[in-house]
Amino acid sequence: MLERKEYQKYVEDNSPKSPMTRTLFAAFVVGGIICCIGEGIGDIIKLIFEDMPEKEVAIWESCIMIFLGSFLTAIGVYDRLGRFAGGGSIIPITGFANSVTSPAIEYNREGVFFGICAKMFVIAGPIIVFSVAASFLVGLIGYFCV
Amino acid sequence: MKRTFRLNRPVYIKSGFTIVGPKEGDGNFGDRFDIVLSDDLWCEKSYEKCESKMHRDAITGAIKKAGLNREDIDIMMGGDLLNELSSTSLAARNFPTAFLGLYNACSTFSEAMLIASMLIDGGFANNITCSTSSHYSSAERQYRFPLELGNQRTPTAQWTVTCAGCTVLSSTPPKRYNCEVYEDDIIAVDKGLQVDDKTLEKYKKSVEKQKLVIDKGRSNIIRDNFAHDNNDYGKANSHYAVVTGGTLGRVIDLGIDDEANMGAAMAPAACDTIITHFEESGLSPSDYDGIFTGDLGRFGKQTLEYLLSKEGITLPTYYMDAGASYFTAEQKTFQGGSGAGCINTVFNGYILKRLQRGELKRILVVPTGALLNKDTPLQKETIPGISHAFTVESRPFDKIDTKKYS
Amino acid sequence: MEIFLTYLKVFAVGGLVCMLGQILINKTKMSSARILVLYMLLGVVLEVCGAFDYIKEFAGSGITIPITGFGSNVAKGALEGAKADGFLGAVAGGLRSVSAGLTVAIVCGFVFGLISRSRSKKM
Repeated sequence: MLERKEYQKYVEDNSPKSPMTRTLFAAFVVGGIICCIGEGIGDIIKLIFEDMPEKEVAIWESCIMIFLGSFLTAIGVYDRLGRFAGGGSIIPITGFANSVTSPAIEYNREGVFFGICAKMFVIAGPIIVFSVAASFLVGLIGYFCV
Repeated sequence: MKRTFRLNRPVYIKSGFTIVGPKEGDGNFGDRFDIVLSDDLWCEKSYEKCESKMHRDAITGAIKKAGLNREDIDIMMGGDLLNELSSTSLAARNFPTAFLGLYNACSTFSEAMLIASMLIDGGFANNITCSTSSHYSSAERQYRFPLELGNQRTPTAQWTVTCAGCTVLSSTPPKRYNCEVYEDDIIAVDKGLQVDDKTLEKYKKSVEKQKLVIDKGRSNIIRDNFAHDNNDYGKANSHYAVVTGGTLGRVIDLGIDDEANMGAAMAPAACDTIITHFEESGLSPSDYDGIFTGDLGRFGKQTLEYLLSKEGITLPTYYMDAGASYFTAEQKTFQGGSGAGCINTVFNGYILKRLQRGELKRILVVPTGALLNKDTPLQKETIPGISHAFTVESRPFDKIDTKKYS
Repeated sequence: MEIFLTYLKVFAVGGLVCMLGQILINKTKMSSARILVLYMLLGVVLEVCGAFDYIKEFAGSGITIPITGFGSNVAKGALEGAKADGFLGAVAGGLRSVSAGLTVAIVCGFVFGLISRSRSKKM
């Protein structure tokens, strides 16, 4: 039989690859649309609450987007969107909400404690840990260097 | 060190029974299965419970189809892909039979068939069931990600087949007619268990629910036995199938570390087993009417053909990979089906029927398995593959020989 | 007309950010968690070196709706906390600024986890 190196090279060269144009196009369009929806939600909030400060609008905007991502996951739409769009629906904040909600839904048969609550962060855990660690580091830099 | 063996007396295949999910029912072999479910939860609370139920009912159906009773079975052998063989073990608690749980990933079926035929050949047992099952949704959450996570499948990915199948091997020849199986026979498992009335009522209710589905035009329970062309009930078989030998596989690792590319990880194992089989048995590919691999997928199949051509072996024209042929192109499964039940249901639903009609004389079935769990790729381990092969021959019914032959 | 231009910018930048992520998915076979972490850290870096505000000025939600916005909020909160409340602010500020988003994500996950069921896929 073939040598290890030789075989790995054969597999590397001949494995089917993701179709670049189609996936990139889908990611671009869906990602762009999701960002536009976010912008639209911000604009609507600004229309309704005229004197709300910019910062609060941004917080509301991302909260509503997170809710939408979570809701679409719960009704079984987001995974189909993700199948199609890939990065286009993973990278927006709705993708983060999806990565929190999907394990919670998946593991609810193991009960509330060790199912939903314990498994909720199997995918989103690294994001939270890394962001807390990064914030601590940045905070230290801000405190000592600035 | 010899890995190929030939049985001293024929080990008869009494019957095969298959249960598959809705997507599989729409696939290429859709009309050849005994039961096609319209819902892959089958009135259960979780996919694991459903898989276990499918497994249990596949065994019950196969025993019934062979015209046997549960008490006639000496040993049950089976396995699945879930942790600690949970769905097989939970299915086995419904039977009064000795149980051996086996695991060789997707090649568990051939492992069971080989061990069972050795035991029967040695005179240690008369009737043995060999069953495997897999379920897309339970495998997905164990090996990959939650179902609702919006990630993208890579083009090398395979689709775990939702199915359960069972073959009954025996030391005595099968009848010419397959016994008919009705839904009551499957409920009888619960009766035999002497469960409380409430549970039985619940189960009956779930079957009635499935009856409603059949009225909508989608068969969910046992098919009408005489209506369908491809069905083997009520029709006399011209031939019967016997297991005559096989080759045990060894674990081969050529350093593939991408768990989304199982075909490439398993192809070298299949190649090794096939080469060994031909070397040690003295046969050549032209002695076989067909060679069937388990779930290499489209790319894995291509890889196997490449590996064998490097060794100077050309496979017979009738070479089929069960996984690659399982689904139609419109079903978007990329490489095709995979899973412990994949080759099992194709064998019992399709290959066995062709053997019983005498269309295939001698075939080699080579299922392959990728030996990994969720943690080994994270620990930077590569993925080894394994493959066991068994030979099945078909013989016309008027020449039944129960005598030993050498 | 101006509003159309704004949305075009949001669309273009947001789409571009996601498209770069898709290139990573196609080329490196990274899982979604790794990509999210990478983009979150990118947001932190952009915020610390001061480039984030310029992009935000140009693209608005195009850069804040991707997870980079989450990262930038964390970093901004930590920096502001350090400036306003000293050491304790530096430690607490990061999470304080994203606490609303995290709370919504966790509560929604919990509630939907209780009432929803995962569905088997057809394709």
